[in-house]
Amino acid sequence: MIWKIVLFVLMTFVIIAGIAFPIVPQPSAWYQFPLIPGLEEKAKIIFFHVPTAWLSVIAFLMAMIYGIKYLRHQNLDDDAKSNAALQLGMVFCVLATVTGSIWAKFTWGAFWHWDPRETSIFILLLIYGSLFALRTAVENEDKRARLSAVYSIIAFLTVPFFIFIMPRIMTGLHPGSANDDTSGPVVDFKMNRNMQLVFYISLIAFTILYYWMWSVRYKVLIIKDTLTKKLL
Amino acid sequence: MEGGFFGFLETNAIYVVLFIVLAIWFGIFLFMLNTDKKLKEILNELKGKSNEK
Repeated sequence: MIWKIVLFVLMTFVIIAGIAFPIVPQPSAWYQFPLIPGLEEKAKIIFFHVPTAWLSVIAFLMAMIYGIKYLRHQNLDDDAKSNAALQLGMVFCVLATVTGSIWAKFTWGAFWHWDPRETSIFILLLIYGSLFALRTAVENEDKRARLSAVYSIIAFLTVPFFIFIMPRIMTGLHPGSANDDTSGPVVDFKMNRNMQLVFYISLIAFTILYYWMWSVRYKVLIIKDTLTKKLL
Repeated sequence: MEGGFFGFLETNAIYVVLFIVLAIWFGIFLFMLNTDKKLKEILNELKGKSNEK
């Protein structure tokens, strides 16, 4: 129960700080954030957009780990845990895409540009979206779990490339692209310590929230599975 | 006083956003608490029934 209270306090703080703390050219007070050239007020999205992308990576990693566990022990509970992580990973991937797209509208003038970052997340959505199509297409639960486990392992091999490598080595509009000489690595060089602190607290709070959502979701899947078997 | 408050919100719309996001967060938190509690009860009930058998 303590971690739930911690989550509540941390997330409430992140929301208040992330939205209400002012961005000024020369921060002098503890609650002021620095002005980042090219981002200005829109830099505040970093407290909400980056954690959603981060959580999709964590979720897809967990899906792969439980996929490997399923292949080793053939326990359907591991498949339920992998499936719950996949579902949440997809939700957070969509959230990262939508928040990024809204930000792009106000920064670049349109919701979508086929920037390398946008293209890479779109491909990830397609890769993991097809996994759900695969799961619904197979009726035998052991076969479905085995195929899903193998697919989630292979799919995760593409995640580091699409999230961390491709958008950084290609030229694009997104901060952190190869040709980005104004914003650069935003977290390391353009934030002051207060902003970094709120950012890291945000990552921690979102990760705890993800863990809670994942545990609730896999319990739902296990209960659903148990009740279905009892009724049949 | 009331006009002053709405006048303040008109010029500082970011606080309206803040209140809405906080309301959504409180809603999500309460929903999660409630769902988690109910799921634990169902799991205990299912475990109790399987132990009886």
